[in-house]
Amino acid sequence: MRLTDASVAIRPRSAWEALDLGVLLARRHAGLLMVSWALFTLPIFLLLSLALWRYPGWAIFLFWLFKPAYERLPLHILSRALFGDTPTLKEALKALPRLLKPQLLASVTWRRFSPTRSFDLPVLQLEGLSGQARSQRLVVLGQRDAGAASWLTVVGMHLEGALCFGLIALLYMLLPQQLVVDMDWQKLVEAASGDWLWLDHLSNLIYALVLIAWEPVYVACGFTLYLNRRTALEAWDIELAFRRLRQRLTGIAYAVLLAFGVLLVQPSERAWAAPDQAPATEEKDPQGPEADRLLRQPLTSKAAQESIHALLDQPPFENRETVTRWRFGEEKKPEKLTKQDVEGFAKLLKGLLNLAEFWKSLDTVALVLEVLLWTAILSLLAWIVWRYRDWLAAFAGRVGLPVRLERQIPNQLFGLEIAPESLPDDVASEAERLWAEQPRAALGLLYRALLSQLLHTHRLPLKASHTESEVLRLVGQLEQSELESYSQLLTAQWLNLAYGHRLPEQTLRDRLCDGWRQLFGQEVKA
Amino acid sequence: MPLTPSVASSTPARDEPLDTRFHVETPEGIDLVLRPASLVPRALAFTIDLGIRGVILLVMFVVLGLFGQLGMGLGTILLFLVTWWYMVLFEVLNQGRSPGKQLLGLRVVHDDGTPIGWAASLTRNLLRFVDILPFGYTLGILSCLNHPAFKRLGDMAAGTLVVYREEMPARPQLPEASPLRAPFPLSLAEQRAMLGFAERQAGLSAARRTELASLLAEPLDVPAEQAEAQINGIARGLLGPV
Repeated sequence: MRLTDASVAIRPRSAWEALDLGVLLARRHAGLLMVSWALFTLPIFLLLSLALWRYPGWAIFLFWLFKPAYERLPLHILSRALFGDTPTLKEALKALPRLLKPQLLASVTWRRFSPTRSFDLPVLQLEGLSGQARSQRLVVLGQRDAGAASWLTVVGMHLEGALCFGLIALLYMLLPQQLVVDMDWQKLVEAASGDWLWLDHLSNLIYALVLIAWEPVYVACGFTLYLNRRTALEAWDIELAFRRLRQRLTGIAYAVLLAFGVLLVQPSERAWAAPDQAPATEEKDPQGPEADRLLRQPLTSKAAQESIHALLDQPPFENRETVTRWRFGEEKKPEKLTKQDVEGFAKLLKGLLNLAEFWKSLDTVALVLEVLLWTAILSLLAWIVWRYRDWLAAFAGRVGLPVRLERQIPNQLFGLEIAPESLPDDVASEAERLWAEQPRAALGLLYRALLSQLLHTHRLPLKASHTESEVLRLVGQLEQSELESYSQLLTAQWLNLAYGHRLPEQTLRDRLCDGWRQLFGQEVKA
Repeated sequence: MPLTPSVASSTPARDEPLDTRFHVETPEGIDLVLRPASLVPRALAFTIDLGIRGVILLVMFVVLGLFGQLGMGLGTILLFLVTWWYMVLFEVLNQGRSPGKQLLGLRVVHDDGTPIGWAASLTRNLLRFVDILPFGYTLGILSCLNHPAFKRLGDMAAGTLVVYREEMPARPQLPEASPLRAPFPLSLAEQRAMLGFAERQAGLSAARRTELASLLAEPLDVPAEQAEAQINGIARGLLGPV
């Protein structure tokens, strides 16, 4: 055993990580392990099944009982592969009789039920210990990591079960539907005693197949747990590092010695050859950096360069990636029409013509169909409208624009008649006429006419409850300065007259009447 | 993913020693070491989570059973939450650790070592239903055993890894020795080996210690009996004043 040859990274790990290493180890040698396991166990399984055809339960029990015997083969392979000496399939099978001999009876009887089976096996097989020495060794090794070994066995048991059920479920899924429907469980139970023995043997076979996948992993995990324990106990990683260090240092020492020797025997400068006056071109220069050197060494400069380039071509120095996308198919180059193509094309045209003729004969049918379809659509629409007529009546009315509310326009404000019908056509002239005899009527007429105009022309929302000053404020909101000042003047005169019984001055007559004409005159005419 | 895990670890060359470490190189050139967890601890963690969920459901159904129809309705919602969201919520909100994973010292991370997010967690947990096929996690088991980083199908789809948490290491005890300087330059691995030799003295037998130390007697230029003390001194010197 040479640690420097180990094909796994040796360092102390946690117990779980040691199991992980086992999985990786089994994976690396998966082909050899599984094939050798299958070649060894499947014949035994066949023999047992044939010998105990009437008792499938006993057959699988015996097969299960001898599992520790089968496990010796993968361990042998793994222990040799660990140090780079992977045996071939033939060699492994040849070594089998020798492997099976020691302590076989104990393995398959009282030690069969040990939960740390995989962890203990290397002690027996690789260290060759037995009896007292073996148990002492196991006590030392089992101080740590034995828990993980037990868990490995427990998980392994359940895993075998899960994989078996998975395979059975897969087979069941593959059964034809009709067979599943016809399967009568009652019949199955009755038949279980007789003709259905092969089903039991089939499930036994599934177990044997599952073991091919799982047992190498199980053995490898136990082996790496054992290795991990020994690495911790004997500091294998430190030994490895120290050995390498020693190799490096003593190697350097030899090199220094050699160099010293070379220096000592160096001839004096006079003996050197004259420097080359005409250096050759770069490629041909035998001393140039590109030239082949170290030709008598095991590693020539050329080989070194090649391996450097090979290394540089690999990740992480070189990251090539292949991108695959969907794209349209490449356009075919236009080919010359061969005679066959032309004929084919003509045939196609003829066919198309025939088809068109046939189509014409179908025209009437198509027309009938079209009519029928349109009728169906229209009937459907009509039916929908009829079916939902209530709904439409209820909701369609609301769909239109909101109806503007008719505003209640009062006919009287402050006890004054303001309907346009009650006013004369030419308010200003009438007021001028009345001014001399009945100033109150004249002013009243003007004010009524103003309110009427505000209501109907300017559409002020006047109500019967408004006071005169509130009306003025509303007029102010119209933001028409002329109308506002006129309204203020007229209202003030009207208030003086109506409540204070003070007659307006004569001069105001023209102002008010002309103001009226200016503001509303055109509108009245119009 | 901003980072691409180095391919070297997922497809190791044939002559490279087999290791369980998964290297992620950041753009800054820093090598992050992740330690993916394989089937056995993951299966145990899953079993613990399954048990916890079972207990939650059992207790809640007994309690909700008292409320008749309403209770059954609430129970159905609860069943949905526990089935589909238990793992996701724990993984995203508890640093990638469901209770089972926490007990086993595991956590879920993205392939580049960043904490797991909602999208990845949902993907990997929804795809459990693929892993379960055809029965009892058959596909998941096979995929986990056959992947170099022990991923099940959900992990592959979501780009996640289940790794061991980094535990705070205990301060090692070095034997008393007067610090020495190494008579030759040491690489990082060699320095570690020196320190490891000094730190792990308690776990090694005296004979084994002498055997190991005598390997370096010749380069250190001391008799084999003194090599051990010499290495301890160098380890002290490497450790520096504490």
